[in-house]
Amino acid sequence: MIDQLGNGLLLGVIISVAAVALSLLYGVTRIVNFAHGEIIALGAILTLFFSGSVDSRVLFLDRFSPLGINFALSASFAVILCGIFGGLLELLLFRPLRRSNVGNIAVLVVTIGLSIFVRHLYLLFATGKVQNFPLELQRRETYLFFDMTPRNLKVLIAAIIVMSTVGLILSYTKLGKAMRAVRDSEELANVSGVNSDYIIFITWVFSSMLAGLAGIFQAIINDVRWNMGFLILLLIFAGTVLGGIGTSFGAMVGGFIIGVLVQISVGLPFMEGHVEAKNAVALAIMILILLFRPQGIFGKKERIS
Amino acid sequence: MSNKLIDVKNLSKSFGGLQAVNIDQIEFKKNQLTSIIGPNGAGKTTFFDLISGFQSSDSGEVFFKDQNITNIQPYKIARLGMVRTFQLTKVFDRMTVLENVLFSGSSVSNDSFVKSVLKLPTQKSYEKDLEERAYNVLEDLNIKQMANSYARELSGGQKKLLELARSIINNPEVLLLDEPLAGVNPKLAEDILSLILKLSNLGITVIMVEHNIEAVMKISERVAVLAEGSLIADGTPSEIRNNNQVIEAYLGGSNE
Amino acid sequence: MKLSYKLITTLILTIFSIYLVFALNPEGAERILLNLLTFAGIYGLSAIGLNVHFGWTGLLNFGHASFMGVGAYVTILLLPHAAGREGEFSTEGLPFIVALIIGVIAAALFGLLLGLPAIRLRGDYLAIVTIAAAEIFRLLVRDLESITGGVYGIISFSDSLQKYRPGFIDNLLNNFEFSPSQAWVGILAWLFIFLVLLLLKRLNNSPWGRALRAVREDEDAVRAMGKNAVWLKLQSFMLGAGIAGLSGVLLAFNYGSLQTTTFVPLLTFYVWAIMILGGVGSLTGPVFGSIIFWVIISETDRFAVLLFENANGQQIAGVRFVLVGLLIMSLMIFKPSGLLGKKEELLLNVK
Repeated sequence: MIDQLGNGLLLGVIISVAAVALSLLYGVTRIVNFAHGEIIALGAILTLFFSGSVDSRVLFLDRFSPLGINFALSASFAVILCGIFGGLLELLLFRPLRRSNVGNIAVLVVTIGLSIFVRHLYLLFATGKVQNFPLELQRRETYLFFDMTPRNLKVLIAAIIVMSTVGLILSYTKLGKAMRAVRDSEELANVSGVNSDYIIFITWVFSSMLAGLAGIFQAIINDVRWNMGFLILLLIFAGTVLGGIGTSFGAMVGGFIIGVLVQISVGLPFMEGHVEAKNAVALAIMILILLFRPQGIFGKKERIS
Repeated sequence: MSNKLIDVKNLSKSFGGLQAVNIDQIEFKKNQLTSIIGPNGAGKTTFFDLISGFQSSDSGEVFFKDQNITNIQPYKIARLGMVRTFQLTKVFDRMTVLENVLFSGSSVSNDSFVKSVLKLPTQKSYEKDLEERAYNVLEDLNIKQMANSYARELSGGQKKLLELARSIINNPEVLLLDEPLAGVNPKLAEDILSLILKLSNLGITVIMVEHNIEAVMKISERVAVLAEGSLIADGTPSEIRNNNQVIEAYLGGSNE
Repeated sequence: MKLSYKLITTLILTIFSIYLVFALNPEGAERILLNLLTFAGIYGLSAIGLNVHFGWTGLLNFGHASFMGVGAYVTILLLPHAAGREGEFSTEGLPFIVALIIGVIAAALFGLLLGLPAIRLRGDYLAIVTIAAAEIFRLLVRDLESITGGVYGIISFSDSLQKYRPGFIDNLLNNFEFSPSQAWVGILAWLFIFLVLLLLKRLNNSPWGRALRAVREDEDAVRAMGKNAVWLKLQSFMLGAGIAGLSGVLLAFNYGSLQTTTFVPLLTFYVWAIMILGGVGSLTGPVFGSIIFWVIISETDRFAVLLFENANGQQIAGVRFVLVGLLIMSLMIFKPSGLLGKKEELLLNVK
């Protein structure tokens, strides 16, 4: 069980970052974005496209080879593009929907349709093959009480830094306070001079950048797949529910706990031979929480039922 | 069997730090027509919610017909004979006026899945009776002509009448009316008031929350005043009219 | 059915789609059409079940595939079958009708099991929970290899149904290259659609149906009238689940084998697309939606070939789902009432 701890920490921070992104978006827009996984995957796929080796055998859209650009540059560019993607989604899709007053069930179904659409575009674009970033293989080292490769350790630290930064931004900057104001009450925020449309737009951009970053982290640690976002989406939901819907801090903590638990559960005796079922652990936790303590650990008693 | 139809003890409910309701004791006698008044935010609707089961109390007990109904589910309380209306009128928009009333008037066992599949003759005759009862109620409330219109097409006042029709078709013992006159034009308000009086004369125990003090004073036998969650006065309309505390609560104190 | 503008348009579109099959396939159109109609029937039935959940009761069920799966597995495991590579054919089993009834009831009970905790949840949480449940179902099915046959699945059960196949079907299909066993499944699917629609129509105009509609409008008011809103929702959930279970059985018999990869989330999305296309809340909507949907799906393989020279299976599937996703999105944005639905149906907010 303990040798999964390193993997657990890694999965934990990835889900943590992704959950914070989702929670931010939900808090401000009240949309449960089922296409969130696809934004996560976008970060990884774009990074692969930019940085992949030029003579890679796998071609994008059967035609284009990766661009072979420096990895750090590629990743940064990818994150920015993810932000742009999120912004465009808001401007072209979700804002018009909001204006047209369709019920939020319709919006939910739209995000599901969007996720199917985009995810399979990835399948066509990046193929179904599992691919990796052009990074050299490393060996696991032992740090304190867990094992991981040096690069993964850097990812771990980077993720922690990112989340702390997000936390600081939310708590202390004007932007952060405006976001929290819109989250708590859009009308009130508007009345106090906050342009809620602008804040919503910024939130989409910000959340998408975070999601893309989470995807890049995930791809560094594991690999790039067309459905990598969809695969962890349920875990992200579970983490958000556990931590408490509507609070980013909760999402962060909940996401982390879920990631660690899921990975550690691989080591449990009854899981032998059923490694893939580790996700079921997270799902079971989520269902239990929704039954018995729907507001999660830190959540406010928002109307869950 | 005591004369107390509804007996409330030590009822309290707070939200966050705010005490919404804090009542040591209040009781309602059979066939009384009581109005509950108080400034905004006094906890009147929360009080209704607590005794009708739509919110759970932090502490306290509620007895209805000597049965402890504290925190039991609202539909069970309604089945025992306590029916309530809501501040924001709740009619079934996409169903016709007639269907709205048919639904309420239909017994739980009549609604059963099996019966609806089998459609036995006994059921058909029940439905016929039901329809007759429904039309009668609609006629009593003067909205019979709207029977086949969709509820969403009704005016605000008509919706209130529909909600009333739904509430009385089963002859409840207790009727909790949450602001029955809100947003209603004066003529219609008169009609609703005389209807409430008529219901009371027929033996229904009526408790209503209202802001329209004139109306309240006109027909109530008893007036209870809530302010900031507590019961500050309880008596006949004239007693309340002259009660200093009440006057202060409305004029002086915090009016959110 | 009243001959409304919507209905006429729908009929025209349906007939046109069928014509399209012939137009685009100079050879073998009949075979393609028969295959398509069989799938359309099965999925149409499933969509009717989903419509009971969403159209009638406003429940966001995104785990529909698992209800279909429960129906299929319970029924087939009760029939003579062989599981897995080493699986021996066990001759023990119940008569088809009995197994089918038990399977449908099992699906309904699964609906009850899932619904009991989940139905009180707000819409979007219910969606998440149903997805989670379907995922757990998928994992269970995959891992309980001794029962479900692992990668090889369950086979050799078809006879239990095919032995009731009337002889005239074989004769009829002599000219078309179409499997009589598949035709039999298709006929049954459409027969069941007819019967289920009769049942639903009867329920719709009944006190039960009225109560369900009231629940969808305003649960609090329903409770204030002394009715148990949660139990009503649960009943509807069970009904839709049972119908889904029935369609699941048919799907398995259509393939002739029951794979662990049959009842996966992608299936749920197909059914959702069909339901929305047909028109949420409309009884016959799913039927027309299903036919048109399957024409679209089966003809999109052409698009795949246009895009990718030697389109492999994955790419064809990819194009299919890109279209499914696009279809769901476009419908919800531009025409949420679909073919036969009513516009007001979708101005709902999550409750």
